[in-house]
Amino acid sequence: MLKITNLCVEVGGKEILSDISLRIRRGETHVIVGPNASGKTTLAKTIMGLREYKIKGGGIYFNGREITGLKPEQRAKIGIALTFQHPPAIKGVKLSDFLRRIGNGCEHKKYVSSQLLEREINVNFSGGEQKFSELVQVLALNPKLIIFDEIDSGVDVKRLEQITGIIKDWLSRDRAALMVTHNATALEFLKPDIIHVLLNGKLIGSSNDWKKVWKTIKRHGYEKCKECEKRKLSAG
Amino acid sequence: MKNAKNVKNANYLQVDNEIKQIVERNGVVVLSSREAWEKFGWSRKWFVGKPEQGYFIWVKKQIDFPLTACATIASPKVSQNLTNLLIVEKNIKIRANVVCNAVRNDLCGRHEAFGKLVLKDNARLEYNHFHKWGEGDFVGADYEFMLGRNAVLKYSYENLFTPKNLSLKTDVYSQKNSSANLSLVINGANSNIRIRDNVFLKGENASGIVRLRLVGRKDSRINAKSSITAEAAGNGHLDCQGLLVDDDSSVKLTPELISKNKGASITHEASIGRVNDEQMDYLRTRGLTEREAIDLIVSGFLGANKRF
Repeated sequence: MLKITNLCVEVGGKEILSDISLRIRRGETHVIVGPNASGKTTLAKTIMGLREYKIKGGGIYFNGREITGLKPEQRAKIGIALTFQHPPAIKGVKLSDFLRRIGNGCEHKKYVSSQLLEREINVNFSGGEQKFSELVQVLALNPKLIIFDEIDSGVDVKRLEQITGIIKDWLSRDRAALMVTHNATALEFLKPDIIHVLLNGKLIGSSNDWKKVWKTIKRHGYEKCKECEKRKLSAG
Repeated sequence: MKNAKNVKNANYLQVDNEIKQIVERNGVVVLSSREAWEKFGWSRKWFVGKPEQGYFIWVKKQIDFPLTACATIASPKVSQNLTNLLIVEKNIKIRANVVCNAVRNDLCGRHEAFGKLVLKDNARLEYNHFHKWGEGDFVGADYEFMLGRNAVLKYSYENLFTPKNLSLKTDVYSQKNSSANLSLVINGANSNIRIRDNVFLKGENASGIVRLRLVGRKDSRINAKSSITAEAAGNGHLDCQGLLVDDDSSVKLTPELISKNKGASITHEASIGRVNDEQMDYLRTRGLTEREAIDLIVSGFLGANKRF
């Protein structure tokens, strides 16, 4: 579904991502972990096509079509969606009106309170309210791939379980998810198919055993994953 | 012409320079201003001179329906010159919906309106004033509100389709214990706009709040000066906000506070913001084009979201 090949990205003239290659198939759940400022959000926003993120090399393909030059709204129309970690306030626009505007506003309303629906988007939303608002917005778009940028941050365990539950319900054979996270509990709830480790703008490793990777990170830090990958490569 | 069937409101409708409909109801006198000048000698003190066009509405009894008035330009190069007078007698509470517009974008008309609205003691008026113009129109509106003791005015002016030139002047004279709440919402596009609003707190405990929401886009020039003068121990607040959408436009906001009474309390806030990239990106990831995203941000700022 999503293929990224040798992607290099600059922000403000500085290279943030280098030589990223990644492949997500239908029905898969991928997770990207990495320390702060490793480039996780940059990757998420580059896939979505935000203008601040300049692609200097490589390409992004969605369902076999190169989308590297597409605008964010064009990517949204073909089925890619992104939840923001820190979504901006849109004053004067009620969430319910916006959901109606962007898609089938009714179907996913059940995940948020009627009071929240009547409020202006992200204006004085709590952390949890922001996350649920993000979730219902991207679901309203009826996408094929959702990139969740730290949708687990700032929410308690109960809400995190609800959020991951909604994501799991949404996933199907035709859909895929890419989640950026720092949170082991989110991994526990989500049970991703593949975990990727991003460090200093490079994907230093990928595995289908998220538990093992997380254990390594917890014990030895992200740098250790680099060694694991090297060992894997030399063994291969 | 009077008491048309199927009209439930008291109504005045003028198209170009012709009065198309006047509807009176029990308790409300609706006439052309010219006819009122002839018929009611006392009305002359409220008119500056003998009026050419415009409405005279005199609400004598409490009514349970809104007043409506409409001055429309429907033909090319029409020039309207209206003098309007609305008088609300004591203790009466009413709502008025007033529309001034051009039916097409290319009529290059001229609309000048002078209005005097008199709220006698304890009267309450909710006045919703909508303007919608074409790109080549010239529009001037000069309104005075005279508020008696304990009178309450809620004035809402909305112009989402501005003419080539718009001059808007609003003066409010507030007597003891009266309150005025003014909201002016203007989406300036391809337009030169001049706004002057003045609230005069003339009586003790009179209050005035002015809320300006002005958008400058598509080569617009907006110059707004909003003023409160406290001549008595009243309260007032100016809330002036502009949004500049592009570099071809300009917005100038000048709040002015004048106090002539040490017991008065008057304050203001003013700011001019911009459409930021983060909001734009966010909305575009939701499938909106750049133009749609700007329109949504603008309509949200203007508080006009419900109508978009």
